Amino acid sequence: MRRRIDVRRLTQYGVVVVVAVTLNFLLPRLMPGNPLVLIAGVDVGLLSPEDRAEIVARVGLDAPLWKQYLRYWGDIVTGDFGYSFRAKRPIVDMIWSRLPWTLLITGLSLIVSAVVGVILGAISAWRRRTKTDLGMLTGMISIESLPSFWLGMVLISIFAVQWGLLPSFGAVTQASDLVGWAHAWDIISHAILPVITLSILATPGVYMTMRYSMLETLGEDYIRTARAKGAGERRVLFGHVARNTIAPVVTVLAIRLGFAFGGTVIVETVFTYPGLGRLVFEAVSGRDYPVMQAAFLVFTAAVLAANLVADLLYPLIDPRTRTS
Amino acid sequence: MSLVHPVVHRRRRSSRKWRLVALVAALSLVAFACGDGGEDTSAEEVTAAQAQAAAAQSDAAAAQSEAVSAQAEAEAAADALAQAQADLEAAQAAAAAAMEGDEVSQSALADAQAALEEAEQRATESAEASQEALAAAESALTEAEQMLDEAMMEQEAAMGPVRVRAAVTGDEASLNPYTYISGFPGWNLLMLQYDSLMQLDADGIPQPWLASSISVNEDLTEYSVTLVEGVTWHDGEPLTADDVAFSVNYYINNVEASRFARDLRGVEDLVVTDDHNATFVLAGPNAGFELGALADVPIIPRHIWEGVELPSEHDFGDTNIGTGPYKLVKYVEGQSYRFQANPDYFRGAPAVDELVVIVFADDAGAQAAIRAYAVDVIFERIPPEQIDLLDAEDSLDVILGPEFTTQMINYDASKRPFDDVAVRQAINLAMNRQDIVDTVFLGAATIGSPGWIHPGHPSYNADIGTVYDPAAANALLDAGGYLDSDGDGVREYDGQPMSFEIITNASDSLRLRIAELTVEMLAAIGIETSVAAVETATWEQAVWPGFDVNNGRNYDIAMWGWSAPVQADPLRLPQLVASVPAGGFLNLTGYVNAEMDTLSAVLGTEPDPAERNGILGRMQEIIAEDLPFVLLLYPDGAYVYDSTVYSDWEFIAGQGIVSKLSLLPPSARP
Repeated sequence: MRRRIDVRRLTQYGVVVVVAVTLNFLLPRLMPGNPLVLIAGVDVGLLSPEDRAEIVARVGLDAPLWKQYLRYWGDIVTGDFGYSFRAKRPIVDMIWSRLPWTLLITGLSLIVSAVVGVILGAISAWRRRTKTDLGMLTGMISIESLPSFWLGMVLISIFAVQWGLLPSFGAVTQASDLVGWAHAWDIISHAILPVITLSILATPGVYMTMRYSMLETLGEDYIRTARAKGAGERRVLFGHVARNTIAPVVTVLAIRLGFAFGGTVIVETVFTYPGLGRLVFEAVSGRDYPVMQAAFLVFTAAVLAANLVADLLYPLIDPRTRTS
Repeated sequence: MSLVHPVVHRRRRSSRKWRLVALVAALSLVAFACGDGGEDTSAEEVTAAQAQAAAAQSDAAAAQSEAVSAQAEAEAAADALAQAQADLEAAQAAAAAAMEGDEVSQSALADAQAALEEAEQRATESAEASQEALAAAESALTEAEQMLDEAMMEQEAAMGPVRVRAAVTGDEASLNPYTYISGFPGWNLLMLQYDSLMQLDADGIPQPWLASSISVNEDLTEYSVTLVEGVTWHDGEPLTADDVAFSVNYYINNVEASRFARDLRGVEDLVVTDDHNATFVLAGPNAGFELGALADVPIIPRHIWEGVELPSEHDFGDTNIGTGPYKLVKYVEGQSYRFQANPDYFRGAPAVDELVVIVFADDAGAQAAIRAYAVDVIFERIPPEQIDLLDAEDSLDVILGPEFTTQMINYDASKRPFDDVAVRQAINLAMNRQDIVDTVFLGAATIGSPGWIHPGHPSYNADIGTVYDPAAANALLDAGGYLDSDGDGVREYDGQPMSFEIITNASDSLRLRIAELTVEMLAAIGIETSVAAVETATWEQAVWPGFDVNNGRNYDIAMWGWSAPVQADPLRLPQLVASVPAGGFLNLTGYVNAEMDTLSAVLGTEPDPAERNGILGRMQEIIAEDLPFVLLLYPDGAYVYDSTVYSDWEFIAGQGIVSKLSLLPPSARP
């Protein structure tokens, strides 16, 4: 019984992967525009048609679409995505050098927003319809509507330009030759503003989920039963409410973990942070097909993996979803 | 770090709702701690050394003032000496007079003698004093000089080498001749490492550089160059004519880097006479060869590039070297470039010892960084609205100069109604260029000449006027039969309303604003337009499909602009306005004019510079009359830098400040 379900689930994931990979391949090519300017440089218009044909052939863009598609699958299997049209560097290297930075800021902000969001959401729900609840709710809704670039720029102008406390750009001080602790501080100080920005923006989502999930749980009959049988507040909260509340929050967080790999284009741009989001943004604006394909694949894999994690965690948290 | 503890402690005691606040506060404190940690020690050292230098300098000043007073004393002594001598003479005269007198006046004689003695004594005294004072003054002066020298050395040591951090807004890949990405500032940064045979001076005119002399034969088909002796590559190998020949052949045979292959198109042979002499033999006369090729193509070392098959994907590691004033020592993909000065540079050691180029994601980030003094110069033009703001900052300065970039209106001149020259002229007359310069560029732009060439360029035809006259434009359209027959305020052509879309790229906000003003200005002459702001690649694809004019065009009206090199060399004008088969491979509007084709064919082959200018003058007249496009304005170049770090930036007309000239001492510039 169990095995059959696993096979079904595996097939589902397989289908999703094939569809996603196909979209990753097709979407860049369906966009108007042409990567030639990136491959050949700014003076592409000055090339003779023969020169142009030679360049297109060298990067394999002259092949029929189905051949290019098969080659993409070949790249996926071998893990070699070739060279970027733009940077003319191996794409795998580019992604590996960017991924840690992205994960540093998105991961930290995920943790911060999860902790803050869950705690505030719980407080809000526990004291529902009090001033505390209403105040927090209003505050969170206001925060959620902040544009991220604006928040980032405000933080830069206060902390970097006015007070000169924190660096406004980059992941490390360039050409600084710092080592050891100084290097670690350098990385931390560069990450603070992006992490604060991302955390502030991500908290309301977690808070809302937590608050509504908990409100729902608090309205359940078994909570009334627990109270009726004389359980203390503490026991009701931790023994009955918490466990039943946390499942939707875990789903939200797991999906966010998947998206964390995608980086955040806007925040990475505002802070000139060398993450994956900016790499993809640059690739999209220049029609750098191979980079787009490889980076989208990373996102696809991360989101699917996060889903899988959520799927696997669910039965552990919520016995009702366990298969009999 | 101890500061953090009380906060953490308080956090534990405080009620839950303050946890977030406390967390943010703690983070700020951590930030404070790290923000301060980094540069303090070196900053303190510099401050201390600076203080020392200042002290030495004030000592020297004191010594100098001592010397001055000693000198004054000496002068006073000399005066006294002169006085004494005068007294002596007077006494002697008195004595003589006394001796002559018959009635010997003993007392007078005695008086005179006493006076004489006194004067003699005084003279001796003052001579001695004066000599002493002079000696004192001299020694004080020497001492002062010594102190000043010491102070200067100390100060120099304290300041350390000059280090400039520059901001750019795009990565330029590994920055070799086959990988740099943008024409500006990519090529400019590339040329910090490499040299070309000629180099533009501040006026944008090519001057001898790696080649110490260039001679051209009468019919412009042979360019002979003599290399400067003693030039070495960064690895110490000597540069020879062989490297030049290798470079030229390499670029021609590897078309990947379009720019240099295109520059050298037409080179039939390169004859190497000896180690330092070579002659370019061209297929036909080319008056633009110096500007287009000799001052553009980086010379690469044969001993490294020989055998490199696919240069764009070749890993050069630390052998990406040239003969230039800087060596690229580190590249962090998407983040920074670190250049170190080449102290053995053949024109003299650079004035800036280290240049760190930091890659920003956008203008706003770079501007915030220079306001926070985290970078020292921005290697991109700053937008007009930022010029006064940044200039007002304490140590920031803005340098302005002519740029040869353009903002223009393109239309599809091959189809109705833009194939009618009257419609094109009406659009030209309807454009209030001054208004655009004032409102969009806040004055930081030069009004466009309808004849294309910048008024600051030597080839500009000054007879061409820029006229704004909507009444005349309306009259032209009326006369051409473009009437508003249904009274809706929009004229008609061939039974359809004159209603068009103006396509532009949304990423250029200034261009977008020009487009919006254009809509209003065209509405005043009964042409209805709307702005379609699209993403850059989509816009390029519509205006210049596949970057090949043979593919035609998919737009009615488009905002457009060319980069500086297209205008900096007026000999490239045929590329813009000749018909497509006649070599107009930048002719994006489908414009055709037989006289223009004829002039285009002879422009580059005319050996006499005055004749060439005559042809260019006529071409500008035709453009202004025929309007293959409507040139609106030339934005002025504006660059911001921190003058306390380095201020010797050189603005090359049409090119801006990003060049090796800016970083070399003035004595090494052409």
